[in-house]
Amino acid sequence: MIKKRKLKDAEIPTSSMADIAFLLLLFFLVATTIDVDTGIGLTLPEYIPPEEIKQVEVPKDRMAAVLINENGDVLVDGKPTPVGKIKDNLKPRIESKISLPSNKKLIVSIKTDRKTNYNIYIQALDQVKLAYFESRDEYSNANYGKRYKDLDADQQKDVKEKIPIIISLAEPEAVK
Amino acid sequence: MKFQKKRAGTKQEIPTASMPDIVFMLLLFFMVTTTLREVDVLVDFKLPEAKAIEKIENKRLISYIWVGKDGRIQINDSITKLEDVKSLMYTKVQALPSLIVSMRIDKGANMGLVTDIQQELRKAYALRINYSTNIKI
Repeated sequence: MIKKRKLKDAEIPTSSMADIAFLLLLFFLVATTIDVDTGIGLTLPEYIPPEEIKQVEVPKDRMAAVLINENGDVLVDGKPTPVGKIKDNLKPRIESKISLPSNKKLIVSIKTDRKTNYNIYIQALDQVKLAYFESRDEYSNANYGKRYKDLDADQQKDVKEKIPIIISLAEPEAVK
Repeated sequence: MKFQKKRAGTKQEIPTASMPDIVFMLLLFFMVTTTLREVDVLVDFKLPEAKAIEKIENKRLISYIWVGKDGRIQINDSITKLEDVKSLMYTKVQALPSLIVSMRIDKGANMGLVTDIQQELRKAYALRINYSTNIKI
């Protein structure tokens, strides 16, 4: 007679599974990036060779010239302005042109020197963008009762048409 | 009289059977939310801060240009000369027309250099740019 032996249960050892999974997790934590890309978006104009550039006259009341020199001093339309005040200066002017046709909207021109610090330029650009964003928000609040980013696509298009962001980057003059 | 210790009848162990499942869930979460690191940044830079910033939703559209404290320019994996920016970016735009160029420029950089790079980008038809900044609180 053959003795009936009790067979052991066949098992895969799972105690080290957690360790393996942790190792994988660590690998992914190290090899990936989680930071979101935030920044100020702009669209550059197409490159036109210098000999084909046409000068277009723009009426003075359409322009807001922001000049930044190498010391970080800012001139808005010839008046010295602290960087933090650019927004307050531009906002009423953007809002006064909401009802005007699209060829009469405000153009903000930012001009810097070649030696201007990049940080100051970003601060100024930030102020200009803020002025536009706040005007857009206020306009959508007044007309639709919502903030700009909560509007649907059609309404956003309407606001965009009313308050277009026109920023012109003038090329810096060569250092004399 | 004999004292008998009162003891709960249950096992005094933390059940670890579900631990791998939990860790795998964490792993999956990280795999989905992050993107793989592609390049080593060779230049040293500190981003400026701004308030009116936007998020770039689609990471796959982004191509980076780094400019360090010392004014060196990095594209892809290596330091590049200013003259090479145009040809490098041109091939990238050809491959992906809706490319967004994210400019990660040190806050101490000169505008002269920034403008030069922008001119090269214009020539390469890489027109959508983004000045990378940190959020100002």
